[in-house]
Amino acid sequence: MMIPNAMVDEWYPVGLFSQLDVSGRKTALMGEPVEVGRDAEGTVRVTSADGRMLPVCVRYGHIWTSLGEPRKPLFAIPEADQLGRRLVDVGVVRVRCSPLRAVENFLDIAHFPFVHTDILGAEPHTEVQNYKVDIREDEDEVWATQVKFYQPQAAKSASGGVTTEYMYRVPAPTCSILYKTCPPRPGEWDVITLFVQPLAEDLCDVWPWMALFDDETSMTDLIHFQQTIFVQDRSILENQIPRLLPLDPGMEIPTRADLTSVAYRRWLKRHGYTYGAQLVAQ
Amino acid sequence: MKSRTTGSWTPVALSADLPVGTVIPARTPTGPIALWRSQSGGVSAFADRCPHRGMRLSHGFVRGEALSCIYHGWSYAQAGNCVRIPAHPGLTPPEAIRVATRQVEEGDGIIWIAADQSATRPPRLDGLAPLRSLTACAGIAAIEAAAGTDASPGGIVGFANNSQTIRMLVASLEDEQALIHVLVEGDASPPERIAASRAAEALRRMAEHIQRKGIA
Repeated sequence: MMIPNAMVDEWYPVGLFSQLDVSGRKTALMGEPVEVGRDAEGTVRVTSADGRMLPVCVRYGHIWTSLGEPRKPLFAIPEADQLGRRLVDVGVVRVRCSPLRAVENFLDIAHFPFVHTDILGAEPHTEVQNYKVDIREDEDEVWATQVKFYQPQAAKSASGGVTTEYMYRVPAPTCSILYKTCPPRPGEWDVITLFVQPLAEDLCDVWPWMALFDDETSMTDLIHFQQTIFVQDRSILENQIPRLLPLDPGMEIPTRADLTSVAYRRWLKRHGYTYGAQLVAQ
Repeated sequence: MKSRTTGSWTPVALSADLPVGTVIPARTPTGPIALWRSQSGGVSAFADRCPHRGMRLSHGFVRGEALSCIYHGWSYAQAGNCVRIPAHPGLTPPEAIRVATRQVEEGDGIIWIAADQSATRPPRLDGLAPLRSLTACAGIAAIEAAAGTDASPGGIVGFANNSQTIRMLVASLEDEQALIHVLVEGDASPPERIAASRAAEALRRMAEHIQRKGIA
């Protein structure tokens, strides 16, 4: 099947490297069945249903592949190689929604008091202060900076409410990286990513991954905390109408707090990243 | 769209299933709605979609005289206009931000939605009281075939069950489905209510069988 879309040449996560065993893993990418496995030498192989060997890259705890021909290497996360960070494979959450809606929700902070009540936000602290958004032309990435929000329990390592500062990065159409105030290490940022595997235009596997400065919390608790958050998000994502992300104005009404979402939609449209999107013409 | 059985009015829910300060989803022939009752008891029917990010409003919450979306807390008054955007507490929401509303009437324990701006009133139940609602994977014709009788002009299908007459207020939904509200006499005894409920379930099974076989 041809995907008439610029997104075909991008890298996508198709599983955790740590969980790949000899039996391999059958999954799907943009409607095509793919199989992840290892050859006799232990090299990771990803093959399509018609036997094509797909490009492979192992990075940030995950195996990445593409149905097309990636024109550049997978985006860099320099913090991933920084000494002292705990790298957390959170696992997978399957969501019956557009992969683009999953990313847009990750970029949104205004829902914290209502969806992640008493964890990432709480009434009456609902105000979203002005922040900065730009599409960085050199890197070709969407960035939101100086994002601040009051949080009752910003991280597993946090005790009590704090105003947390965030930065968001969108380096690929279905991936986002969040930099967040790091309570035990002022001056550094915790890194929380959202890697989304598009199974279909309205179905995705979400693979969160983290690189944190936290030597106290058990791995189980770190994973449980993130899974709680993403399962709360799923209750929203599976109930948005339409399922596909509307890229043209008119279908949905943004406000000032949605500047990141507005820039993300504009960036998607400009690049023709429309797998999982809805255009007026359709 | 006019229903063959109840004119331009669709009986979407029982009053008893919508307590004060709650919101529930309901289906109509023209799409899903969020049905909610304010603190003072007023019933409203909204299109089940927040205009901000498309979230179903039936997942939201009622505070006072407004319905709020669960996603970002945007609040809407009974007229459908947005009255509060929590991300910007100092902002008066523009008039243009509003949810489509549907005309709603409540009477005899039933909540009715009009397909259009209706000048008429919904039909009355003449001393009958609603007992419970069921959804059937069968159209009205299959329900009529199962009951062995046509629906009355008021949308009621009646059939004999032992010595009791069972009455069901029926409304068609999309995809050859129907909503059934079981009605009983206002002074029906508990055994009569239980019998009516079971008879309606039996009739639904028969109607669904007829629908599957394509007999109706």
